[in-house]
Amino acid sequence: MATLNSRLAAVVIISVALARIGPDVAASNEDWSPGPTSWTGDLQPITEAEWNYDRAAHLLERAGFSGTPKEIQKLADMTPEQAVRSLVYYDDIDNDHLSPFEHSGLWDETLLNFPPSRPAATDMALKQGKGMGVRLKPDHVNRYAQPASDRFFYWLRATRLETRRVGYWWAERMLDTYRPLEEKMALFWHGHFATAESKVRDYRKMIKQIETFERHATGNFGNLAIAIAQDPAMLYYLDAGVNVKGAANENFAREVMELFTMGVGNYSEKDVREAARAFTGWNFKNLDFVVDSALHDDEPKDFLGQTGNFDGRDVLNIILEQPVTAEYIATKIFRFFVRDDVSPQLASELGTLLLDNGYELRPLLATMFLSRDFYSVATYGAHIKGPVEHVITLLKHLGAEDVPGIPDFNAMTVALGQHLLNPPSVAGWAQGQSWITPALIQERGNVAFDFLFPNVTQFQEPTLLYGSAGEAGQRLRRGYDILSATALDDPGIVSMFDLAARERDELFNTRISSFRGYELAMRKLIPTLRRAAQIDLTQMILDSGSVTTSEAVDYLLGRFVRVPVSVNTRDVLVTLLDEELGTTDINRAATFMEEPLRMVTHLIMSTPEYQLN
Amino acid sequence: MTIRSNKLYDDSGVSRRQALKIGARGIALGLVGRGISALPPLFGATSEAVAATPGKILVVFEWFGGYDGLSTFVPYGDDALYRQRPNIGVREADVIKVDDHFGFQKSMLGMHRLWDEGNVAVIHGAGYDQPSFSHFTSSSYWHTGAPNSGEEYGWYGRTADALDPHGTPNYLVNISATQTLAVRAREHVPVVFDDPSSFTRAVFHPERSLIDNLDRGQIARNDTHQFMLDVNRSARDASALVSQAWESYNGSRNPDLRLLDLDKVVALIENDFPARLYYVRLQGSLFDTHVNQESPHNRQVQYCSDAVWGFFEEMKRIGKQDQVAIFVHSEFGRRVPENTSLGTDHGTANVAFVLGGGVKGGQYSTPVSLTDLVLGDNLQHTVDFRNVYATLIEEFLGHKKSEAILGDKFKTLGMFA
Repeated sequence: MATLNSRLAAVVIISVALARIGPDVAASNEDWSPGPTSWTGDLQPITEAEWNYDRAAHLLERAGFSGTPKEIQKLADMTPEQAVRSLVYYDDIDNDHLSPFEHSGLWDETLLNFPPSRPAATDMALKQGKGMGVRLKPDHVNRYAQPASDRFFYWLRATRLETRRVGYWWAERMLDTYRPLEEKMALFWHGHFATAESKVRDYRKMIKQIETFERHATGNFGNLAIAIAQDPAMLYYLDAGVNVKGAANENFAREVMELFTMGVGNYSEKDVREAARAFTGWNFKNLDFVVDSALHDDEPKDFLGQTGNFDGRDVLNIILEQPVTAEYIATKIFRFFVRDDVSPQLASELGTLLLDNGYELRPLLATMFLSRDFYSVATYGAHIKGPVEHVITLLKHLGAEDVPGIPDFNAMTVALGQHLLNPPSVAGWAQGQSWITPALIQERGNVAFDFLFPNVTQFQEPTLLYGSAGEAGQRLRRGYDILSATALDDPGIVSMFDLAARERDELFNTRISSFRGYELAMRKLIPTLRRAAQIDLTQMILDSGSVTTSEAVDYLLGRFVRVPVSVNTRDVLVTLLDEELGTTDINRAATFMEEPLRMVTHLIMSTPEYQLN
Repeated sequence: MTIRSNKLYDDSGVSRRQALKIGARGIALGLVGRGISALPPLFGATSEAVAATPGKILVVFEWFGGYDGLSTFVPYGDDALYRQRPNIGVREADVIKVDDHFGFQKSMLGMHRLWDEGNVAVIHGAGYDQPSFSHFTSSSYWHTGAPNSGEEYGWYGRTADALDPHGTPNYLVNISATQTLAVRAREHVPVVFDDPSSFTRAVFHPERSLIDNLDRGQIARNDTHQFMLDVNRSARDASALVSQAWESYNGSRNPDLRLLDLDKVVALIENDFPARLYYVRLQGSLFDTHVNQESPHNRQVQYCSDAVWGFFEEMKRIGKQDQVAIFVHSEFGRRVPENTSLGTDHGTANVAFVLGGGVKGGQYSTPVSLTDLVLGDNLQHTVDFRNVYATLIEEFLGHKKSEAILGDKFKTLGMFA
């Protein structure tokens, strides 16, 4: 027994040791070139001699959404400094080919000052006899307030439906832009200055916010912070409107300090309350920032050790003066683009870099992307792409020119745990390893499958209405009266919620409104083009010059995966391709190899390695 | 939904549970580069852990967002409530009374039914010293069981590690889209999912045998890569079981009874999934009621109340109502006075609930005072929340050394017979 144990121990120790040594048992990507451990934490730039194709690929995957071999080669042919500059200093690069958002025409001015809840909407309408641009029916009629309830649900549904299209529009920008870092930073800012359309309830404010993120993406953080503090989506999301003189609401001030600038522990509760006073009266009218001076508390405040008649801008400037702010922001950017683990010393260096440059972001970004740390073994292939990042990169890998309609982009990213324009809370998304769980790792394989083998024959339009609202709508069309249309199937099981609904029937019926509002929005909504991605892996392989199945698999691995897969995996893929083609000769198989190549690609994109870059 | 057999058998007729027991040791021996610490007792048995009381299953049901305890378990008999909340204080007429001082908000029929059965323990004033008013910070304190401190692993993850040091696959389940800090463990990879059907592979026949083994022969290039390999392995272990359990569960029994995500827990328990610890975090919580509190709060407690009642109806159906307990808590309660928006701001201490599992129903700890307030206008907690954790660990799960998990000895509350 003891001998067995010690032999087992020996095997374990050896294999663990091998794991530390390096790629002698590895396979694909022989050019895999992470820098030495000594490079970790070193912000000094790499030299031209230390630049190669693999490191250019690493750069483009991180600072952008990857690219074709030609695009990577272009970067590799420059010096590293030129390559980084071309990605970070992009103002001269034209992006006019990107189209503005095409509105479905769902909004009109009667929807301004939209009530915060259905009860608020119907109460207001009952009091005034009208609201949101509709009048109630004469009050002797049953359900005379139905028009107001319908109108409320109309906008709820309309903005949500249109926001999905806004997500598509933004995804298309990410895929087609000539300034990938601009979009990647905009995505980062969206996760940092997080608002969700589910509360904001106005897709137009979300578009405005995206434009703000793009405009200030790599500019000056101070300008961005002030722009967002005055942004209608953010003001609404953090209840700025109820933050008034004499009754300061802390939500906005707290999140600005805790999440957007300094991080917890760098201010007191009193600072939160004083900052809240400084922001009183800050609000918006339609899509514009306004200050209601009557509601603004302009008495002196004590904030972070300074006293004065501060308003919101003053508070933000004081926050920016704190070195901890620069460190908080610089470190967060570093974690998003480089790696999760940041030593206190490195954090301090990054903060100093940002602060010394007056919060200009480009010097920080350029230093980061040129640094030895960025190419060190701790960083190389150690980043888990978030779902949106992952899907856009996947589409770029496949050579798709548009974001396809089948599968649905939002369905795919939501399945992976990220709903664009709807972060789970004001803290945004957790990032890093939190993107990965046992179910989500499998789901990434499924998402790749759905893009490679789009379910064009059975695709279900996500706007199809199910549930009790959909059921009610169908029954109305078959001639049912309202109560029967909204009745439950099994009268033996009644929930309190529906009991209450029946009590409200005399004024209006919300289940009917849920259907009618949705229906009216759908009549106007511009449909999403439901077309599969136009991919051609056959041409990709033929263009690569691969003549055997081994060469084809190696090419695909080299093109798609950063971190090398094992010899075992690579061999398994070659065997699969041989079996499906019935030959190892690519030219012989050229006319029927598309599906088998997609199967191999699906397997590649299901590996643990593919999720990293 | 097709109804399949409850048992999970492979072709050889060996039950999956038996196969798992063999497999667990096999997997632990597998040389996937995890390092020596993950190997089983060949290298020195770790027997300091006392085995958990067999059959007990704990479900933590976190009502994230900071539910307003004063509008949930209402102290209607205290005038101070109405002085502090002239507009939004829950009226006596809107309360289902349990005694002449307290009652449940009237939407909570389900919870009250469980109370009448003697299956609800209400713990008053659960909180901690130097409370944080930040959702994220306070959640992290409850999740790690380490207030005002840093701690890498979750209290629930550490509990799993203590009860099961081998890191048996599928021991710890987290029903959530993303992993909750509370379940972060050293030895266990929690099974994390919110949609059981996403636990199936889309795959063509020729790929089938290959797709789950794409990590064979792989060595980790860095720590993140190692993490990916670990999770990949866990996915392989869990997915078939979870999918089959879900497919055979007949959820149409109670179509209007929203079990929220507790239906997933029912499906797994019913199909003898090996997990002993479940963590369910309320998705899309309406509880953070800063503005116009009444409607969203009442709706959310009603849904949650229906969910726990429906859950125990299901447990009764399969005869496990005394084996399974639910623990309900939030990261804080809410401020005592109402604010100017007919809502409440973040607060401190809160009521917590333990339901089922043979609990001795009743009220525990001391009710909070609505007049002796702290930190301005907040409730003074009357019991550290870790006492509740200790009670669950020692009295329900049967692991006597809770101090090894919680870092200190916390007195248990005597909630179980």
